[in-house]
Amino acid sequence: MTAMLELADLTKHYRTKHGVVRAVESVSLRVEPRTTMALVGESGCGKTTIAKMILQLEQPTSGAIRFEGQDIATMDRAALRAYRRQVMAVFQDPYSSLNPRLRVGTIIAEPVLAHERKSRAELAKIVAEVLDVVGMPANAARLYPHEFSGGQRQRIAIARALALRPRLMVLDEPVSALDVSIRAQILNLLADIQTEFGLTYLIISHDLALVEHFSSDVAVVYLGSLSEAGPTEQVFATPQHPYTQALLAAVPLPDPDHVLSEAAAMGEIASAMNPPPGCRFHPRCPHAMDICRTTPPVLTGAPHAAACYLPPHALRDAC
Amino acid sequence: MLLSVRDLQTHLHLKRGVLRAVDGISFDVAEGETLGLVGESGSGKTLTGLSLLRLLPKGSGRIVGGSIKLDGQELTTLSESALARDIRGRKIAMIMQDPMTSLNPVFSIGDQVGSPLRNHDIARGAALRSAVVDVLQRVRLPSPADRLGDYPHQFSGGQRQRIVAAMAIGCTPRLLVADEPTTALDVTIQVQIINLLRTIQADTGAGIILITHDLGVAASLCRRIAVMYAGQIIETGPVRAIYRTPSHPYTKALLAAIPRLGAKRTRLVAIAGQPPSLIDPPSGCRFAARCTQRMDKCAEAPPTVTLSDGHSAACWKLV
Ligand SMILES: Nc1ncnc2c1ncn2[C@@H]1O[C@H](COP(=O)(O)OP(=O)(O)OP(=O)(O)O)[C@@H](O)[C@H]1O
Ligand SMILES: Nc1ncnc2c1ncn2[C@@H]1O[C@H](COP(=O)(O)OP(=O)(O)OP(=O)(O)O)[C@@H](O)[C@H]1O
Ligand code: SF4
Ligand SMILES: [Mg+2]
Ligand SMILES: [Mg+2]
Repeated sequence: MTAMLELADLTKHYRTKHGVVRAVESVSLRVEPRTTMALVGESGCGKTTIAKMILQLEQPTSGAIRFEGQDIATMDRAALRAYRRQVMAVFQDPYSSLNPRLRVGTIIAEPVLAHERKSRAELAKIVAEVLDVVGMPANAARLYPHEFSGGQRQRIAIARALALRPRLMVLDEPVSALDVSIRAQILNLLADIQTEFGLTYLIISHDLALVEHFSSDVAVVYLGSLSEAGPTEQVFATPQHPYTQALLAAVPLPDPDHVLSEAAAMGEIASAMNPPPGCRFHPRCPHAMDICRTTPPVLTGAPHAAACYLPPHALRDAC
Repeated sequence: MLLSVRDLQTHLHLKRGVLRAVDGISFDVAEGETLGLVGESGSGKTLTGLSLLRLLPKGSGRIVGGSIKLDGQELTTLSESALARDIRGRKIAMIMQDPMTSLNPVFSIGDQVGSPLRNHDIARGAALRSAVVDVLQRVRLPSPADRLGDYPHQFSGGQRQRIVAAMAIGCTPRLLVADEPTTALDVTIQVQIINLLRTIQADTGAGIILITHDLGVAASLCRRIAVMYAGQIIETGPVRAIYRTPSHPYTKALLAAIPRLGAKRTRLVAIAGQPPSLIDPPSGCRFAARCTQRMDKCAEAPPTVTLSDGHSAACWKLV
């Protein structure tokens, strides 16, 4: 089966005054149709940069992004237009992602107008439909973003992304700016529209409980590289990379008697400008061996893969 | 008592009418204590924090009643110049909710982190530079000395949040208001920020008001919790009482709405509906429209009922 989205050795280096920031380093991933892939990982590990490359807001330094098997870098104009209408994004901040000077109806209609010729009546119908999908009244179209709460604004942002009936949605921290009770509404809404429209999601979140609840697959990113990937259930039940183990141990539970693991807090974050040689996690890893300090481990295993020399991979690779 | 707030009322005078953002709340923060302020988005948590610093929206925001005492000194009647000189950024500092609005895009981060130290005459020249590097190290910004000249957009979301934290703790305030300080962070760094706040507290005896959506973070950091809904504190108590025996229907619903690590994947229990408008709030219980346990009596304002030592909630069910 062709993947909905495939990243192949995707790399992004930013040049700055002080040197090169290796934001994304050779990331390869497959996202199957109608599944939800979650990207998790430390702040600054390159998650948003990956999203931006998929959305063509940044140009990859090297590597490829394939949409249904086709490399977006070699697409002709017509194919690119088709790509851009099938891939939509919802960003973290419902406050700044909506243009404050435009009415909600105009905001939602904008991407449609960019791609299709539609009469006013047809546009109004689309706007009313998607507002209904996200549980907002049709008269919301006449109001301005500031007249809505954060949760409502995020619904509007989702409605806008839905207006063109996309197939892939990139959700970069879609609920982290929202209140807990509203979060549940938005997550339930996203799950419903995924089923209804057969959508594929790539979601970025730092909330591991949310990721466990919401995604079918998960990729753990550390300093621009994948450290572990696989079906969510397997990765959460039997994390194989020490970084994933540390992440799971660090989740603060809503329980005052839960003691946060000290191990989870260890280590300085390495800089993406100066990533350590070998395994990028080795300076923080309690199990680091000599080889970890010199030679980068390769992501191995399927469907549950980890980039680590520790068994079972070390054993399997030795054979 | 380090901080005593009594019957605080903060209004926003908007074109649409008077918005009662903070409507008669009272709480204390002892030296070295962390109070968690949790609750619905838009319930007035940020404006409570901003009221302490009198940094209310220009033109519209006004404290119209109540008292705020820091170390016994009344702040509501203090002159603006005295407040700016002795209190704001010095005795009370705030880590702002949105790191981008507290960082100026055209100044280097070194300049910005140094600015409160300069303004309050704490350090100059070479000492200032090393103080800035030191405080950036304390918030775990990678290679701070090399990045003093970089601008906010060159950092990731979580890195910016740590830079904002550094600005707040530079002058060792008596009271630190941390407004969602861990929202954009992944958990291993979140643990570090939690530990950082604990360390600052142990070193300086500062009181902390932690405003957060994250009931996990609140559980691990706070001694007491105040739950806000629609401008009021509807339940307050020791952290254990709030998590073990939540008593207000909103607190119960809030705890039920979060996905929990390792829990079975079921649909999240969202709280239906929206909080009421604070321009013309209902005269009875403000949660009534969304409450599953509503009774006729709830059309009148519920009394605050003491449930156990320091644990109280405002709900007719508890009378
Ligand atoms: N325009 C830029 N110029 C230079 N460096 C950049 C730029 N944008 C991002 N970076 C750097 O690239 C790395 C990855 O950033 P990115 O925003 O992708 O992180 P992230 O995983 O989304 O983090 P967060 O969870 O904090 O949002 C970081 O080290 C960041 O400082
Ligand atoms: N500058 C402003 N102009 C108009 N209304 C405002 C302004 N700032 C806040 N409000 C309103 O005041 C109320 C309280 O806002 P506040 O920011 O204190 O909420 P909060 O509890 O911090 O919410 P969140 O969890 O979403 O940050 C909300 O109804 C909000 O819409
Ligand atoms: S007072 Fe009534 S409406 Fe309000 S929370 Fe209690 S039961 Fe629900
Ligand atoms: Mg990001
Ligand atoms: Mg707020």
